[in-house]
Amino acid sequence: MASQEGSSATIFKAIADPPTTSLQRLKGLTTGGLPTFIDVGNSFGAPAIVEDNLLYQLVRNGKRVWMMGDDTWVQLFPDHFNKSFPFPSFNVKDLDTVDDGCVQHLFPSLYEEEWDVLIAHFLGVDHAGHIFGVDSMPMIEKLEQYNVILEKVMDILKNQSGPGGLHENTLLLVMGDHGQTENGDHGGGTSEEVETSLFAMSLKNPPASASSRHNTSRMFDDGNKVRVSSMQQLDFAVTVAALLGVPFPFGSIGRVNPELYALTAGTWNQPQTGVTSCKSQTSLEEWMQNYANVLCTNSWQVKRYIDIYSKSSVIGFPSEDLVHLEKLYSQAQDDWLRIQKELLSGNKSTNGSCYTSLNDLQRQIDAYSNFLASVTELARSKWTEFDLMMMGIGLGILLLSLFIHLVVIKRANKLQELTYPSIVETQFSLRFISALFVVAIRASSFLSNSYILTEGKVASYLLGTTGIISLRYSILRKKMPIEAFAFLLLLLTLRLTTESGLSKQTVGSLLMNTFSLNVFGINDNHPIWIVIPEVLPILSLIVLATLLYKTTAGNYCWRFLKYFLTVAICFSYLLIAVHWILESNMLATPPLLQGIGRSFIPRTIYAIGFGLLVLLTVAKFLDKDMAVSYTESILIKTVAMLSAWSSTVMLIMGRQGPFIVLASAIGGWCIIRLGISEKKTKDGSVGVSATDPLPVIQWSFLAVCLFFYSGHWCAFDGLRYGAAFTGFDEFNLVRQAIILFIDTFGVSHILPILGAPLLVVFNYPKRLNFRERSGLLVNLSQVLLIYGLITSITTAITMICVTIQRRHLMVWGLFAPKFVFDVVGLVLTDVLICFSSIYYFPRVVSDRQQDQTSAK
Amino acid sequence: MPTKKTNQTSDVGNISVSISDAFLLHSFSGLGLAASFWIGYNIYSINLISDPVQTLRLLCIVEIPISILLHSFFRQNSKQCSYWKAVVQGVVGLPVGALLMAFGAVVLGAPVGIQYLVKTLYWSFLMSAFTFVPTACIYGSTWKDWQRLFAYTKPIGVLDYIICIPAHGALIGAWLGAWPMPLDWERPWQEWPICVSYGAVVGYMVGMVVSMIFVLILGRGQSHSKRE
Repeated sequence: MASQEGSSATIFKAIADPPTTSLQRLKGLTTGGLPTFIDVGNSFGAPAIVEDNLLYQLVRNGKRVWMMGDDTWVQLFPDHFNKSFPFPSFNVKDLDTVDDGCVQHLFPSLYEEEWDVLIAHFLGVDHAGHIFGVDSMPMIEKLEQYNVILEKVMDILKNQSGPGGLHENTLLLVMGDHGQTENGDHGGGTSEEVETSLFAMSLKNPPASASSRHNTSRMFDDGNKVRVSSMQQLDFAVTVAALLGVPFPFGSIGRVNPELYALTAGTWNQPQTGVTSCKSQTSLEEWMQNYANVLCTNSWQVKRYIDIYSKSSVIGFPSEDLVHLEKLYSQAQDDWLRIQKELLSGNKSTNGSCYTSLNDLQRQIDAYSNFLASVTELARSKWTEFDLMMMGIGLGILLLSLFIHLVVIKRANKLQELTYPSIVETQFSLRFISALFVVAIRASSFLSNSYILTEGKVASYLLGTTGIISLRYSILRKKMPIEAFAFLLLLLTLRLTTESGLSKQTVGSLLMNTFSLNVFGINDNHPIWIVIPEVLPILSLIVLATLLYKTTAGNYCWRFLKYFLTVAICFSYLLIAVHWILESNMLATPPLLQGIGRSFIPRTIYAIGFGLLVLLTVAKFLDKDMAVSYTESILIKTVAMLSAWSSTVMLIMGRQGPFIVLASAIGGWCIIRLGISEKKTKDGSVGVSATDPLPVIQWSFLAVCLFFYSGHWCAFDGLRYGAAFTGFDEFNLVRQAIILFIDTFGVSHILPILGAPLLVVFNYPKRLNFRERSGLLVNLSQVLLIYGLITSITTAITMICVTIQRRHLMVWGLFAPKFVFDVVGLVLTDVLICFSSIYYFPRVVSDRQQDQTSAK
Repeated sequence: MPTKKTNQTSDVGNISVSISDAFLLHSFSGLGLAASFWIGYNIYSINLISDPVQTLRLLCIVEIPISILLHSFFRQNSKQCSYWKAVVQGVVGLPVGALLMAFGAVVLGAPVGIQYLVKTLYWSFLMSAFTFVPTACIYGSTWKDWQRLFAYTKPIGVLDYIICIPAHGALIGAWLGAWPMPLDWERPWQEWPICVSYGAVVGYMVGMVVSMIFVLILGRGQSHSKRE
């Protein structure tokens, strides 16, 4: 289309600044500033922009702005629009509502006169990418639909663009606010994500200035030596402001883009000061003078902003950079004054000066451009202010908590030894050292961005290493080599299945199976291969249910509650199966039933899960037969807690849920068995030694691996937004946030920590004497504390790494999301540890409990 | 402590290993590695980075016979076990060890796929020649000896040092060699299994040197104790 329109249309490569989420881009586009990172968190509920911005300036200057499409605009600019047609933007499964709404309002609006600026924000491509990926049919359909819409819009505009027509002076800008990766996600700083296109078409076609525009663009080619057909999105706000003749936004550091400006310069008639009388002045020169004028204002505005900014901020920019900028600016300003004087005098005296002024102007423009470019560069590298004080305090608190952890673990060890002075623990065995070493490797790997990028692989590498170490130990002890081998085998299968199925989450498990079959050249169109992915999750659900039944069957605690629990859990597993069968479209189901399956069943499962949780907590306080069998009571409590969570977690995680939960159950079982083998042979009496850190570390690493195996990664595009809508169609901030939270942290934080007592319980016989009982509790608290310690060590090191790398290129792309995920994970871990220490510990031992909570 | 035990066990019979034997064995293996790198570089003009498959194949062709034939000389129970039986043990041990190595590598994250199959195969055979084959040749399938060498890591006597330390060196070297793989330097040698092979070879070399040092210390201790 650009070629069709000749000089009046251009395509730019618009380069965005990360983070490339819609909200940040909109903010960047309208304010012309660099986005700050913390805004990503606001993506869900955006507060209005308070800084000066393009839309505010438009409104203040009496321009009428219409908006349609993504409702983020309305959240950002609540009362800037004369008319707006917002549509909810967060239901990513919905490809059409926003776009249809846009189309419906866009075409009538094009015939109306009531607006100066019309914004139509389409979302379908974004959502199609999120859900289906870039190479999918819905994506292609969406893009084709957009092509049709665009052609229609251009037809309408062209028809109206004659002299005196409605769209005589209209400029059409078509752009994307951010790109997408292959998976269709965005948020990071890779070139696929930041590079978008900007298509600009001016509808005014005055014959006289057309040639001059050709000249100018060619002139710019020569002048700049290279044709930069890309522009920064940073420059968008000022350029549009300049085109519309409104003041530049205060906080903008962009530069008026010459090419985009040239495209429409003819339409802009700013009153000029005494340059019009020069006879020999070409239209080119006139344009250049305009442009230089604009750049002058632009530079002045940026300068003012930089000055005020560095005065008001605590740290601001380094002074040598500021001095350099000052010099550049004053030089450019002096030149400009001289040229203006020359021009004024030249007009009066000779015409010859006009010829030379062309070069002067060119030089002038270059000077201004230079100034603005260096400002942008400076801002981009040094923009963010780091409050070193606060960072230090935060780090200090975390290190202090590490220290407290260590002290408490040590104290617990001491207590243990006091009760059983006979047992001498070899503290620094090879096993202990290797366990420490593995944690240290994992923590220090966060210093490099590449290791953060491949964190899942690193974690599974280290987990495999610990698995090999424990295989070695089990051969050493001549016990449970099968468990160790099974553990490695489990890791292998997990790795292979996730690697082959590392595509979109909604069809994850389905692809997981068919893709690997494709490799071996098996025709995946055969009905069996379609049925198997549907049946397998249900089969693993059944396996899980039997597992649950097996563990509870031999238990004599909570007799009444136990049956109720088992029935409830089995019922909700059944419901999950029904839900998936209905969703799979395998059987022809009436739409009414499908509606029930889509929304009613998931809600019932949530309700059952929540009800069980409440019941368990209440039961804990009414519990009386604690004293009868200590181990069994803790065991049943743990199992009950885990299964109460499991149904919800599995439902939210989708088809892969049962596999992952089953895998974690098997993996956990192997770790527990390996831990026991160590215990029982080490000392004659049962399980009264200090807690062995290796199983806990394996437990924690398995949790980390499961986080990555279940299709998450530490970035905001790693959140599985689709999962937030299981059971609900409409968007509700709090509700969807909770579901998304459970999806993200369910299998990696909630289940492992609540399941941690299992590590201890199996070490003890069913009936305990008093000493063993207190030994169990000390062990339990140690397990929880070591788990907390591992998490806080990694978080602390992540913090240190982020602090060290705060000027790193990828700091916003990789380090910061990693940091945020880690901190949220740590807070969640600590909360859960506190919860489980209250929940699992009987009220008798209150001092231990206090120990627990004080450590937090 | 171990030296005393050595005197008791190694006197039971078998082929005794002198320090010069150990030195010869190691220098042959080392020379074999160096020669195959040299041949690859100068005659076929290949190296590990440009042609990993061919180079690994060459390394295997040179190193596997050396490993099997040399270690078979030092077989235990030489009365019941002839030289050729030891060779057969080594040949049988080779694919078993390769299978274990490949399994371990894949568990730790080696890429799986048709295009990596051959590379992984040759790499695991090489690793097996470094670690598994010597023990298979010398001890056959005596579980106790295997357990002592690879689980307890308590080598007794010169022979154990000779096979145990280089094997562990190769394993640890390969393990460390995988570290630079995820880095974004975009060098050709970061591909699987190039840097891991380098790590294994270097680890094996270091292990041989360390084991020689141990053997020397041990030998001196032994001669001292004998004199006393």
